[in-house]
Amino acid sequence: MARSNEVNLNECKMVVPLNTWVLISNFKLAYNLLRRPDGTFNRHLAEFLDRKVPANATPVDGVFSFDVLIDRGTSLLTRIYRPVTAEEPLPDVAELEKPVTAEVVPVIIFFHGGSFAHSSANSAIYDTLCRRLVGLCKAVVVSVNYRRAPENRYPCAYDDGWTALKWVNSRPWLQSRKDSKVHIYLAGDSSGGNIVHHVALRAIESGIDVLGNILLNPMFGGEERTESEHNLDGKYFVTLRDRDWYWRAYLPEGEDRDHHACNPFGPNGRSVEGIKFPKSLVVVAGLDLIQDWQLAYVEGLKKAGQEVKLLYMEQATIGFYLLPNNNHFHAVMDEISRFVGSDC
Amino acid sequence: MKRDNNHLQPNPDPSSSLGGGSSAGKAKLWVEEDCGMDELLAVLGYKVKTSDMAEVAQKLEQLEEVMCNVQDDGISHLASETVHFNPSDLSTWLQSMLSEFNPPSSFDPFGAAGTTAAALDDSFLCGPAESSTLSTLDFENNNRQHQKSGQQIFEEASCSDYDLKAIPGKAIYSPNTQPPTHDSSSSSTHNIVKPEKRLKSTSGSHSDIFPPPPPATAAYGIPSDSIRPVVLVDSQENGIRLVHALMACAEAVQQNNLNLAEALVKQIGFLAISQAGAMRKVATYFAEALARRIYRLYPQNPLDHSLSDVLHMHFYETCPYLKFAHFTANQAILEAFEGKKRVHVIDFSMNQGMQWPALMQALALRPGGPPAFRLTGIGPPSHDNSDHLQEVGWKLAQLAETIHVEFEYRGFVANSLADLDASMLDLRPTEVEAVAVNSVFELHKLLARPGAIDKVFSVVEQMRPEIVTIVEQEANHNGPVFLDRFTEALHYYSTLFDSLEGSASGQDKVMSEVYLGKQICNVVACEGVDRVERHESLTQWRNRFTSAGFSPVLLGSNAFKQASMLLALFAGGDGYGVEENNGCLMLGWHNRPLITTSAWKPANNTSPTSTITY
Repeated sequence: MARSNEVNLNECKMVVPLNTWVLISNFKLAYNLLRRPDGTFNRHLAEFLDRKVPANATPVDGVFSFDVLIDRGTSLLTRIYRPVTAEEPLPDVAELEKPVTAEVVPVIIFFHGGSFAHSSANSAIYDTLCRRLVGLCKAVVVSVNYRRAPENRYPCAYDDGWTALKWVNSRPWLQSRKDSKVHIYLAGDSSGGNIVHHVALRAIESGIDVLGNILLNPMFGGEERTESEHNLDGKYFVTLRDRDWYWRAYLPEGEDRDHHACNPFGPNGRSVEGIKFPKSLVVVAGLDLIQDWQLAYVEGLKKAGQEVKLLYMEQATIGFYLLPNNNHFHAVMDEISRFVGSDC
Repeated sequence: MKRDNNHLQPNPDPSSSLGGGSSAGKAKLWVEEDCGMDELLAVLGYKVKTSDMAEVAQKLEQLEEVMCNVQDDGISHLASETVHFNPSDLSTWLQSMLSEFNPPSSFDPFGAAGTTAAALDDSFLCGPAESSTLSTLDFENNNRQHQKSGQQIFEEASCSDYDLKAIPGKAIYSPNTQPPTHDSSSSSTHNIVKPEKRLKSTSGSHSDIFPPPPPATAAYGIPSDSIRPVVLVDSQENGIRLVHALMACAEAVQQNNLNLAEALVKQIGFLAISQAGAMRKVATYFAEALARRIYRLYPQNPLDHSLSDVLHMHFYETCPYLKFAHFTANQAILEAFEGKKRVHVIDFSMNQGMQWPALMQALALRPGGPPAFRLTGIGPPSHDNSDHLQEVGWKLAQLAETIHVEFEYRGFVANSLADLDASMLDLRPTEVEAVAVNSVFELHKLLARPGAIDKVFSVVEQMRPEIVTIVEQEANHNGPVFLDRFTEALHYYSTLFDSLEGSASGQDKVMSEVYLGKQICNVVACEGVDRVERHESLTQWRNRFTSAGFSPVLLGSNAFKQASMLLALFAGGDGYGVEENNGCLMLGWHNRPLITTSAWKPANNTSPTSTITY
């Protein structure tokens, strides 16, 4: 057993910079401590270990942030990131929700990853990522602090995403001058990517326009064991066993991985054929063991006649977008910027 | 193994396991390192020196291997029993877990680490907070309490939420308290960790992570005094106009345009009436404070003591801030007093002594029996010439008697903590008596007079304390510019008032608001030596303590968890949260940190603790 582990560790150390390896291995270690075999989660230790940062109304590198409680009942917080403008290099702290001034301002609703159980909007890794997106896309980013599993199972995360979407859509201060509408994009990584899909579905049902979906290493799965799951199990930070654990923690008790939340185009899935689904940008890491499910998702969208662009990053592992020290990072960021900028 | 280098970025770390490859090209994409710390990881909250990266990677590998070789249950103790400290310091954190595996951790004669901790772990709370009267020492019912038998009090004590004895594991991290090596009965001798080695690595990284006078930066490289955390809890149109009016008025005051300021203050009054809830109250207090500043009607200073006591007590009952403060400080003190036969707490914030019953009970229930407990309570003089401090001491003495703790008390009246000298305190030799210094919401007042804080630091050092526990507001209310202070305070107190809204209504809440309103008045209307509510942020306090020659005593995951569970008991508890910050604990409302508990020790006082005496 130790022998094969040696091989694994050496392999994944070869494909990422050392500090990335340290970062992701650290998460892997910490997360191993938090998942209990009985399906419960050590939430206190999780919150203790998570590195968080406060919001900051003072601009740093041209971005400032503030938290907003958008639903008291569920204590739903969002963290809003805004760029400073040439006219106003220092934001008015008394009016953080000042109307946006540009003709077109993309508003990216971001759902952080963590396999539905980990992390928060104020986790340092996601605060950093959201700040990047602001500059990259000249956008306002709204990061949703959705309720997590196993304490809050399906559909809580989707409900919170939906609440956030409605809230964003109804903010006059987020409307682009051009058409007095809010130009909404949904983005997320891992479980956040999964949430993007499901919230987009709800948006269509309710007539709210979403201009685009960005799914970074989205979390999908199914009962069947795919080739990538066999080949990559345990090789690059992630095991099939932990994937199974997280689905058991999120899905309703008694449901299996062919539940439509997990497998949106599977046996219990909902077709998106003939509906006005947003265009999608799907990023798949070539060393992610669930890539077959992610690729199946892309196929599902294509078959339904939906616009989708796949970015397959061959040598990328999970979490490659957390540190700007690799080519995949820059390639993906460029694509995101084009994807969002294309309707200005 | 040949790899396609096109996809690899050369790493500036010379000890990287990657092949040499193209180190030229993309190097400029990386940010310059700071103090040798890996800048990219630092932004994400992890302090790892670039030169240590390979070693840290190795530790991760070692841990992975160990964890694979052991059954699932074998590592579960790492989550349930092990107490974790300062996860930002990856190297030390990993090392402490590795040490768990060689040898097994528990040569622990007093069972403080709790062999049955796994059971205690999640089912810690025995029930609802029925016994809070005991730990808050409800003075009005003092007679009734006195009638209870000692036995009953013990039973209640063991179910109290503030029962520190039942907390498994250690609260604070001290690299000096090593399990005494093996004179003994320890059967597991095959994997003995070398204590010197462990001491070396941890104390080494301590001074690296907390070097003497650092620049004023917050955790992740952002200058501390410019972090402004804001949470908007009331996103309504009216609220905005009110805030604008308040800001405009403050600006007019700043510019000494008093006519405009006066007009605006009146306007605020009208706007406030139409507002609901917390915002109305906050606006009213700020408006009043502004009016006082404009008309130079400074509040009578100081406050009548009995009223101030009453307000304090209501604040204690209504919301968790004081309870959190007392709870976390007590845990750290209890831990620091481990193994000591005689202990002395010097409390800079005596008030009604509400912090001490819980600690005393925990000491009483200590395996092996309680230490002799001496308390020196320091407080301002009372106006009615009543010996207020002595009365408090007397009540605590009665409690001590019923729980069989040897107790000595002295009350000390002082206008300012800076009036204290170590010689006044009847300090006894360190070998005989261990000292803890405690200050809850008092230290910032010293910043009103030049030199006062330095005097107090030096006096504290002379006390040679095992631990100094500090609780302070997490806010920047001491900047040089009035308008900035005003803005900060407006956001801070808005958040604080919002947190009160969900709690019990009526008398308690109103009193708590008045209590806070007095602070608002001081921050906004007063200046010079009268402005005592000079709150500063953790980063600023950290700088002050390290410059004064103190090193941090880390609070760990155990204290974090217990504090979190405590918060869950409060009505409207959902919004409260505890956050760990480099060994300190912060209590916040909807992710906005509001108060911080930190612990310190004089840096030269790092002699290993004496052998366990019982």
